[in-house]
Formats: sequence, structure tokens, C-alpha cells
Amino acid sequence: MKLTVIPERCSGCRLCELACSIKKFGVINPKKAGVHVMVVYPAPVIRMPIFCHQCKDPKCAENCPVNCISQENGIVRIKEEECIGCEQCIVSCPFGAMFTHEDREVPFKCELCGGDPECVKVCPTKAMIYVPKHLLGQARRMENVLKYAHMKQVEYFEKGEKKILHYTEAEKKENNKREE
Amino acid sequence: MNKISGYFGKILAVDLSQGNSRVIEFEPEFALQYLGGRGFGAKILFDQLKKHDFQLDPLSPENVLTISPGPLAGTYMPASGKTSFVSLSPATGIYGDSNMGGGFGVELRQSGYDALVLFGKAPELSYLYIDNDKVKIISAPEMKGKTVLETEGLIRRRTQDTGLKIITIGPAGENQVLFACLTGDWGRNAGRCGMGAVMGSKNLKAIAVRGTRDLPVADLPALVKASNEGFALLAQHPMFEFWQNQGLMSVVDYINNVGVMPSYNFKDAYFDRAEKINGYTMEDHYKIGNTACFACPMCCGNICLVKQGEYSGTVVEGPEYETACIFGSNLGVDNFAFVLKANQLCDELGIDTISTGNLIGAVIEGYQEGILDLDDTDGEVLGWGDEKAIISLIEKIAKKQGIGEIIAGGSKRLIQEFPKLSPLISQVKGLEQSAYDARVAMTMALGYATSDIGAHHTRAWPIAFELEAGKNWSMEKKVDLVIYHQTIRPLFDMLGVCRLAWIELGFPEQFYETAFQAVTGIKYSLKDLLARSNRVYDLTRLIITKLGISRKDDYPPERCFIQPILSGPHAGKKLDRKSYELMLDLYYERRGWTKDGKVPAEREKEFSQEPGII
Repeated sequence: MKLTVIPERCSGCRLCELACSIKKFGVINPKKAGVHVMVVYPAPVIRMPIFCHQCKDPKCAENCPVNCISQENGIVRIKEEECIGCEQCIVSCPFGAMFTHEDREVPFKCELCGGDPECVKVCPTKAMIYVPKHLLGQARRMENVLKYAHMKQVEYFEKGEKKILHYTEAEKKENNKREE
Repeated sequence: MNKISGYFGKILAVDLSQGNSRVIEFEPEFALQYLGGRGFGAKILFDQLKKHDFQLDPLSPENVLTISPGPLAGTYMPASGKTSFVSLSPATGIYGDSNMGGGFGVELRQSGYDALVLFGKAPELSYLYIDNDKVKIISAPEMKGKTVLETEGLIRRRTQDTGLKIITIGPAGENQVLFACLTGDWGRNAGRCGMGAVMGSKNLKAIAVRGTRDLPVADLPALVKASNEGFALLAQHPMFEFWQNQGLMSVVDYINNVGVMPSYNFKDAYFDRAEKINGYTMEDHYKIGNTACFACPMCCGNICLVKQGEYSGTVVEGPEYETACIFGSNLGVDNFAFVLKANQLCDELGIDTISTGNLIGAVIEGYQEGILDLDDTDGEVLGWGDEKAIISLIEKIAKKQGIGEIIAGGSKRLIQEFPKLSPLISQVKGLEQSAYDARVAMTMALGYATSDIGAHHTRAWPIAFELEAGKNWSMEKKVDLVIYHQTIRPLFDMLGVCRLAWIELGFPEQFYETAFQAVTGIKYSLKDLLARSNRVYDLTRLIITKLGISRKDDYPPERCFIQPILSGPHAGKKLDRKSYELMLDLYYERRGWTKDGKVPAEREKEFSQEPGII
């Protein structure tokens, strides 16, 4: 399973941050969360939650001077007792998904709530989603299929209601022979 | 000092004249009486007015501006992102307040304060920077004349912090246009009553806040349980997804179809081309995204982009119903792209769209009726739907140029300069009417007439209920509904939550009782909370009556009694004067006020003898 986001759906409400701070730390504090929503305007206009991708070969782990970060069963974790608080991991992450807060000695990140992410449950626009990995890229694949098929469409009326029919045209062959 | 949960017990008092700040610590009694938000602001304004014998110039350094969210703001309750701004209004000269969503209030709470109060006037244009305990007043002459987004950009570039919450005034606020507004999160505005002008008069261009503290909650599991139930309830509502798709723009069709959408300067109440400026047009051709205030699943905010034509490239956080109507049907405009352009301009310059659109409508009608001539209008012909003329007026208002300088003084100034225009201006107590016709539902007329800030629907919005179900209601029922709205809606403004979930999606009021108890640990019932809101309504009534308001000011715009609606489902209707007089009598009686609309002497004594908080 993969935690992923469709930024176009994000409204910037930050409920993901809130739900995370409650689950992870038992407090109401959106700054203490494993997800952070970046809101940018007016050019470009985007709202994008940032969170750990649970990399198989994480940069945070690679650059940790005491090797206290590791990937286990699809979740990247920090061994808090061994962390020296150098915060090198924070600047190493290519997504900026490692966070810090003055109340804590150790950086923190998304750890998928043990497999049932709270942010996904609370997201009101279904921007944050938790999907089986084989579905990643599915939308792009469909986009390709539809473009390739050069879908034609025709409008018609049925019982006074306008309808649209999509169809593809099969290749026309000469003398009905199949091409080799 | 004793503490209760839900509050930091701290008010940050910034003295802009001295260039310093101090923390006022308050006892739980203050919080339990005034709750927060508008409640804190009303009390602080009353205290300041008392100190100055109720002789205070709203644009003088002696005016105070209180910015306060509320104990529920930011606490995982659905739609818990509201902040109130309270001050003496420069436009009306009486109590004024304004409300903003977005995330500013939550950040202010996270910096450890329950309210921010601005005193005095900075020696030169400055901005306030709050980072938890650090409070700095930073000189910023380079921000002079900058638009809202330019100002925000300057501050963000300095701090490299996209998480910083910033509210700013535009050039209109600096120029002290009397209905200048405050803007945060791109398009969330504290629009009404000229709070932007007050900030401008204090030489304060912006406030930037960063806060990292935990928000105090007494019983987190109880709050989470109630909130999760709340989120589920909202998501199940049949209109929930439609609401997310169209947000407040869904109101255009609704209000027009029931025949109460102001058009042509509030002369008519139905627009024959409403489909060109409604939510469907927005969805089909302009909408590119949703925005939501803090913790709100309804995401009523829209982001719109004009992709072609004259206004190509216009991108705006908006519009909402008010702006779509006031720059649409109210000005005879059926071009949605233009509505977006007007919205963007007002946002950038920092003026309230409602007051601006309302006054422009009055000026256009005034010109059309020959009350204003070309000399008055700087040689410009003003016509309905005349986009160039409207844009020109907006810019002139913000810059206080030509006729813009007069319009920038609001209804009162416009009437002073052009007395014959008075019957055409829809305003109460000097505040321009928002976009609901008041000639059909008596409750709406009463609501506009008796709102403490003037003709705004923030205090009462009973129009939908009355039109749907109130055909045979008694006058008592109508009056009681208005009073109920004027009690529960301001309660949301005291708690720091948004009223849309309640009014639009039937979110049960009990949730706020549960949430309040969970956050503060204080076992107040909804009735207890409503009683506190009602008390604050008496306080604001006391403030405005001491500032000169009396029965004569508690009437809907005169036009409602004279001009029948021209078209639509309610063509021919206007308000009946006699019925209204009876209704107003009953309203005072039900409120426990005197026959001339004053709070009873014991109440006045109670407020006057209460120790001040500032």
C-alpha cells in the first residue's frame, strides 16, 4: 500500500496535519505532524500535502551519521534512542518530508499510523489516499489509452435528454483482408 | 493566576505609538463571561470607549482593534478556523466587527495568545511580526502603496516561510477608505465595517504570525469523538458534495429562484440572466480548485481562472455569493469573467466587495436618474453592466480620486454630498446592505435593521427559512427567529467557528456544547453559551445607543417601503410600514429593551460597573 496525494483535490484545510498530530503525539498542534500542507498562490496556484514516501533507499538514512534510520516492512523509522539530533536527515530528504519542532529532540515523519493512516480517513476531498501499489500510475495509464484510441464522440437525443456516445473506429482494411 | 483549559489566559496588547507590547493576563471569569472572539472584542471596545467618555474618533490612535479567534478555533472541530476583528467602525461611527476564515486565527492561538489588541499609531508604515513570544514592530516604508499580495510576498521573501500566516491591508486601507478590509490566505477577508481603514490609521500594513504551541484541550478523546461524528454527519449530508463543488456560489441560483437576489442597485430582486453568473457557470468554465478554511470539510472557497477573453489571466480566490451578486446582478452585469476581475481588484486594493458594489450601484443609478451629472462623475458616463466604468470606479475609490474620494467615505459621505441620492442607497446605520433583498421576508428586514453593526446578514440570516416555511408564521415567531439568529450566529463568532455548517448543512447546535465542554472542561450547556452571546448583544446595543443610535436607526432601507420589486416570483412586493413598526415594537419587548430600544438600566449598570480588562 502507498500513501499518496492528488494535489488538485487538496483544499488546504490542514485536517491531515491535525489528525496526524492527534494520532502521533496526542496533541492539537498542526506543527507536530508527519504531513505538512504547502499552500502557494497566486502563481503557481497549488495546495500540496508533503509527507514521507517511505523510500526503499532513503536519503535520510544514507546521510544519518549514526545510521539510526532504516526501512522496515515498507516504513522508514528513526531509532529515537540513538538519534543525536543533528537534523541532517531533514535537509537530506528530497521531499522535505522530515520535520522538527522545538518541543522534541528527535525529528519526526510519517510512519503511516502503523498501516491505517488517519489523514486519509479525515481528508474531506479525498486528496490524501492510501492505495495498493499496483494502482499507482493507473490514472496516467488510462490517460494514455484514451488519447491513443482517439476517442470519437457523437451527441444524440434520447427521450428529450442529450447524450454523448464515445466510440473508437476500427481500422478499415482493403478487401476485408487482415494485415500481416 | 488560575487557568482553565481552552485558553492561554493571555492577551497581547501592542502599543504601536510606543513601539512595544505587553501581555495582559486575564482571569478565567473574563473568559467564561465573554468566551472569546467577538465577545472579547466587544468588552475591550467598551472599556476603551468608557475611558474616553464615548468620544472616540475611529481613525485616531485612541481607537482599539481587537483580533480574537475563540477557544474552539483550530481544535479539530469541523470548520474551526474563524477570527473576529472588533473596533469602532470609521464608516458607521459605532461598534463594528468583521469575521475572517482561513488560518490566521489558529496561528495566533498557536503563538500563545487568545487575542491581539492594537493600540496607538506607529510613527511610520510598519508591520507586526509575531513568532511565539517574539513580538516585533518592523518599519516598512517600502510597503507603501503595495497591493495585498505584493505585501505578503515581501514578508514571505524575507522569512522564506510559506507557513507564516499573514493578514494585510491594501492601498485602500493605507488611504483610509472607510470600507477598506483586511485580507489573509489570498482571498479570505475581514470585509465589513472598515477594519482595514482602522489598521491604516494606525500605520499598520500587515500582521505576520508564526506559532508552534499545542492548543489547550481538556478532554482530547471526547473532542475527537465528537468531531469525528461531526465530520461523518457532514459527509453524509445529501448536499455535501454539491457544497464542496460550488461552495457559496450555489446560493446564486437558490436566492434568485426564490426571487430575492438584488439587481440594479437593489431596485429589483430577480435577475433574468442569473445562469450566466451562477455556480454552474463557474464550475463549467472558471473553477480550477477548492480552498478551505482551517479544519473545514465544506471547502466553500473556490479558485477561479479566466482563460480567455479580455480578462484572461485573472486568477482569484473566490468568488462567493455576495461578490457574484453585488458585482453581477446588482450592477446589471452578466459576465462572470468580469465578476472575477472586480473580485480580484477589490482583493488586491483591499476594499470590501459588498460596500464597494453596493455604492457603485447607487452611483450608477444616481447617474441614470439624473441625480448625478457628468461633472460629478469626472466626465464618465455610468451605465448598467458598463465594465470599464465599474473598474474605473473601483480604482478611483481605492485611490480616493475624483468621485472615488466621495464614495470612499461610504453611505454617510455620499448622502452628505448628494442628498438626493439618499433614497437610492441601501444601507442601515451607515453600513451598506449585503446581497439579500429585504422586501419579502420580514425577518430579513428586521435582521438588517437591528443588526448591531448595520445592514449585514452576519447577525441574522432567516430569509431562507422564512421563505420556505414561514407563510403562516405569527409575528412573534418571526421576531423570535431573528433574535435566535442574533444569539447563535454571534456565538459562533465568540467561539471561533464558522456558522455555515449549521446554517447550510443542518449541523446540530449540540455539537458546539459538546466541543466547548471538551475543550475547556467547563460544563456549560448550549443554553449557558447562548446566554453569554445574548449578553454581548446587550453590550453592543449599549455601545451603539451611547454612540447615538436610537429607534430611528432600526429600520431597513427606506427604499424597501417605497419601491416594489419589479420582476420575479415576488414582483410587486414591498414592505408594509405599519407591520414593520409593530414588529419593531415586539422585537424590543422580546429583547427586554425599553420602548425606544435601549438596554434596561440594570443591564447598563452591570456593564458600567464591571472591572475593565484593559
